[in-house]
Amino acid sequence: MRMDLMSGYKGVVGLLVGNENSSNEDRYVERLLDRISNGKLPDDRRNAIAELQGVVSESQPFQLAFGAMGFPIMLSVLKEERDDVEMVRGALETLVSALTPINHAKGSSNEVQPALMNTDLLSREADCISLLLSLLEEDDFYVRYYTLQILTALLTNSPQRLQEAILTIPRGITRLMDMLMDREVIRNEALLLLTHLTREAEEIQKIVVFEGAFEKIFSIVREEGNSDGGVVVQDCLELLNNLLRSNSSNQVLLRETVGLDSLILILKLRGSSFTFNQQKTINLLSALETIKLLLKGGSESDPGKDMNKQANKTTLVQKKVLEHLLILGVESQWVPVAIRCAAMQCIGDLIVGDSKNRDLLASKVLGEEPQVEPALNSILRILLRTSNMQEFLAADYMFKSFCEKNADGQSMLASTLIPQPYSANHAFLEEDVSMSFGSMLLQSLTLGENGDLETSCRAASVLSHILKDNLQCKERVLRIEIEAAPMQSLGAPEPLMHRMVKYLAIASSMKSQVGKSSTSENSYVQAIILKLLITWLADCPSAVNCFLDARPHLTYLLELVSNLSETVCIRGFAAVVLGECVIYNKSTDSGKDAFAIVDAISQKIGLSSYFLKFDEMQKSSIFVSVKSSLTYQSFTRSSASSMVDIEDVDENDLSEKKNLDHPILSSILDSNFVNLVKSLEADIREQIVEVFSRPKTKVAVVPAELEQRSGESDGEYIKRLKAFVEKQCSEIQDVVHRNATLAEDLAKTGSTLQPEQRVGGASDRIQIETLRRDLQEASQRLEKLKEERAKVESEAIHYRNLAGKMEADLRSLSDAYNSLEQSNLQLENEVKALKKEGHSTFPDVEAIKSEAREEAQKESEGELNDLLVCLGQEQSKVDKLSARLLELGEDVDKLLEGIGDDAGAAGGAEDEEDDE
Amino acid sequence: MSYAYLFKYIIIGDTGVGKSCLLLQFTDKRFQPVHDLTIGVEFGARMITIDNKPIKLQIWDTAGQESFRSITRSYYRGAAGALLVYDITRRETFNHLASWLEDARQHANANMTIMLIGNKCDLAHRRAVSTEEGEQFAKEHGLIFMEASAKTAQNVEEAFIKTAATIYKKIQDGVFDVSNESYGIKVGYGGIPGPSGGRDGPSAAAGGCCS
Repeated sequence: MRMDLMSGYKGVVGLLVGNENSSNEDRYVERLLDRISNGKLPDDRRNAIAELQGVVSESQPFQLAFGAMGFPIMLSVLKEERDDVEMVRGALETLVSALTPINHAKGSSNEVQPALMNTDLLSREADCISLLLSLLEEDDFYVRYYTLQILTALLTNSPQRLQEAILTIPRGITRLMDMLMDREVIRNEALLLLTHLTREAEEIQKIVVFEGAFEKIFSIVREEGNSDGGVVVQDCLELLNNLLRSNSSNQVLLRETVGLDSLILILKLRGSSFTFNQQKTINLLSALETIKLLLKGGSESDPGKDMNKQANKTTLVQKKVLEHLLILGVESQWVPVAIRCAAMQCIGDLIVGDSKNRDLLASKVLGEEPQVEPALNSILRILLRTSNMQEFLAADYMFKSFCEKNADGQSMLASTLIPQPYSANHAFLEEDVSMSFGSMLLQSLTLGENGDLETSCRAASVLSHILKDNLQCKERVLRIEIEAAPMQSLGAPEPLMHRMVKYLAIASSMKSQVGKSSTSENSYVQAIILKLLITWLADCPSAVNCFLDARPHLTYLLELVSNLSETVCIRGFAAVVLGECVIYNKSTDSGKDAFAIVDAISQKIGLSSYFLKFDEMQKSSIFVSVKSSLTYQSFTRSSASSMVDIEDVDENDLSEKKNLDHPILSSILDSNFVNLVKSLEADIREQIVEVFSRPKTKVAVVPAELEQRSGESDGEYIKRLKAFVEKQCSEIQDVVHRNATLAEDLAKTGSTLQPEQRVGGASDRIQIETLRRDLQEASQRLEKLKEERAKVESEAIHYRNLAGKMEADLRSLSDAYNSLEQSNLQLENEVKALKKEGHSTFPDVEAIKSEAREEAQKESEGELNDLLVCLGQEQSKVDKLSARLLELGEDVDKLLEGIGDDAGAAGGAEDEEDDE
Repeated sequence: MSYAYLFKYIIIGDTGVGKSCLLLQFTDKRFQPVHDLTIGVEFGARMITIDNKPIKLQIWDTAGQESFRSITRSYYRGAAGALLVYDITRRETFNHLASWLEDARQHANANMTIMLIGNKCDLAHRRAVSTEEGEQFAKEHGLIFMEASAKTAQNVEEAFIKTAATIYKKIQDGVFDVSNESYGIKVGYGGIPGPSGGRDGPSAAAGGCCS
């Protein structure tokens, strides 16, 4: 039986590895296993297990071969030979080797990973986990060490099964936790194991914490020297983060009973050594991740989430976390950029929606006397001057968090926006700590003048945070006028807003000049400035007024909306600004009132085409993908090193997608802004309909006025009426004109009269066509897939049946074999028994023979006697008859001659009868 | 954060007897009439004073449902005290006490202090288990007994504190080796080491020596 199975495995193994020699490996492994399980000499068995470990650790085919048959034998060694430390060690080490991936030179991804397969096989062995956990209590160091390695391998490859299994074993986790108190090698291994074990397993996380994980983690981190420690600190912090991620219960425990001091201590930069090697950077990043997790609170579904989050914030601030974050994110010059970004993001998380913390940040002063400046100024300087896009985004996030729903803070910042004389304005932006926040921001806003659109747009982003939802600030900043540069002799002071529109125009013209090959950098410059305008104009008629003060602005916007070389997003934003000029327009000036704007839109763009821009924008990937907050991947040991080197990776693949939006946009366009744009769109549609349905009347029609007034001469009356009629006539013309435009627009959308619109209509149709084709293709593919599935399923059923039949065959064969074997055994037994009794049986046979012979003799004798008697009687009859015949004169002898022949024949017949 | 001792408690008993409400009343001093079913285990903490010493209570409130038993059992061993709760208006929750007790005796350390609580004593008109029966059961099994109401807060404070006082007395009597954390007791910074001679810092005690 066993041999049959083996050959089956051999076939499988041979197939998997595609190696004809595999059967050799199978046989080899099988021989070793046989020696281990059946060997009599302890030394021979130990040698066999050592040899087995050796081959399994070296090649994949051996791993496969071992996996196919070795596990039950190893486990039985572990179960039944606990006292033989060497055997147990050998078995464990072999298991470790079988589960450790071997890097093949030509490692193609399609190849079967024997290590993976083996972990799966082992994890299916019943009681394997509890057996392994019990081994952790052994005294031998290597036994514990290898056992931990096996458990880690199992966890890496089939985490859920192991997590479930371990929960069902009472005290299972306790045993693992005890390993943290073991000697260093074991402790480090246990850390890794627990990190795997606690990943996304809330109940295990809690039990681990119940067993005192926090205290143990922090004590190890302290021993290893906090952030200056090695990879063990990183492992500790990864475990810590696993325990806290979305787990309110554990967060409460940490906060309430262990305290956050130890955590804060890790963030502290010690002494004068400002060297940041990679490990220290990772350690600090991990600790910042912990802060971030605490600021994020428990899971979304937790009803007490906000309370817990707030409590975390309060406690962290009490422990002076802000000071440490400022040192890491802003003050220290030696800190790597990745840490600076993470620290600033933490500051953002700390202050968002929390007035106390915002005030605390606003009151912070950095630097040493006399070179001190407010922390916010330092952060602004970083935002404006960093060469790293991620750092800009982090600082921008911080300002956004500071300004959100913080009218006082916005006003405070806006109040410092005081224009400086041009000369002072031109001072270099170096370390001038005396510069106010506003001057710095204003100066940067106007740097576009020197061609530095990038800085200008970063400043614009900050300004839009300051203006958001704050009418007072919007009005205040509207009043800011910028002096023109001296060389422009005609330079009258110009409103700041006009400057920003100018930079917007410069950005788009630069793009069209350089052509498609240019970086799409300007695309986000435009988007950010447009975002500023949208934020500024929202709900602010005076801003609309200021914007429309310069006639070219409207023309430029109209062009921007219909400029096909701009991205969907830019066109959409421009359309939103236009719309704001309609809905927030309080102007009565005929050239720039809402009616004029609507007329301009319907004439230059066409209403339907205009609204199409909104639809396109809503469908753009940026709008769809915008998340409610910045999301960061949590990083593990493997991804940590890549996190350390933050680069603007985006730049590389940008050149490929010329007309697409800059990826940075998705970070800048937060959900608040997207919602603002969406609500604006609805208002704009409504307002435009309103404008058309209720045309402004220039002439008030008062019936009384149509009457001749008393004392009015006929001539005057006629004049007055004529003037009235003239006015009405012009108005009717206006309305007719607007009507014509509308009709035209309608016609354009309906049929395809105008070539420009036809393009739109055609493109629509093409789009619909492609969509329909896509749909068809998709449904076809679906059909095909369904068919395939059905086929595969039927095949599966077929194979299952086949397998069932095979199994049945096998079973019947084995039954048959068994019964054959049994009967054979029986026969053999009989033979043996017979052989044993061999000598004593012969006399018996003789006896039986003689007996039989005697009996036969007796019998034949009896019959002979009978015959003789018969013969005697016949003879006497013959004698009597012959005598009588003689008397009658018959020749007896003659007669008898014939009878003699007859008698001879009869005698022969008699003889035959006898024989029978 | 400084405490003389830290005690770990667990709250066990059938589902719906009011374990989570007892904890909420004790830690937050409020009552939540509709409480979600506890999934797995929830945590709460509070500081109390016994014999003028600050004592931190870490309390793990376990799910009563059978399906969580294997998870909740992991908490038995490391706990110094257990509140075993039944509902005086539901007879079956009282009848199940023996099996809970057996579970606790099997998985917990032998010195665990167990307090039997008959909850919902504000619902006297629906009473299905008499006070005497509760007393009798407690006496038979060597438990402390109290009837309490998470709703009116009656005896809630007392139940937790009396359990702590009993553990405290056991420490004073030298029943525990307080340096061994597996009993669910830890000596804090502000604490005076017990008679068996624990150490000052909890982490120091956790450090090198044992393993």
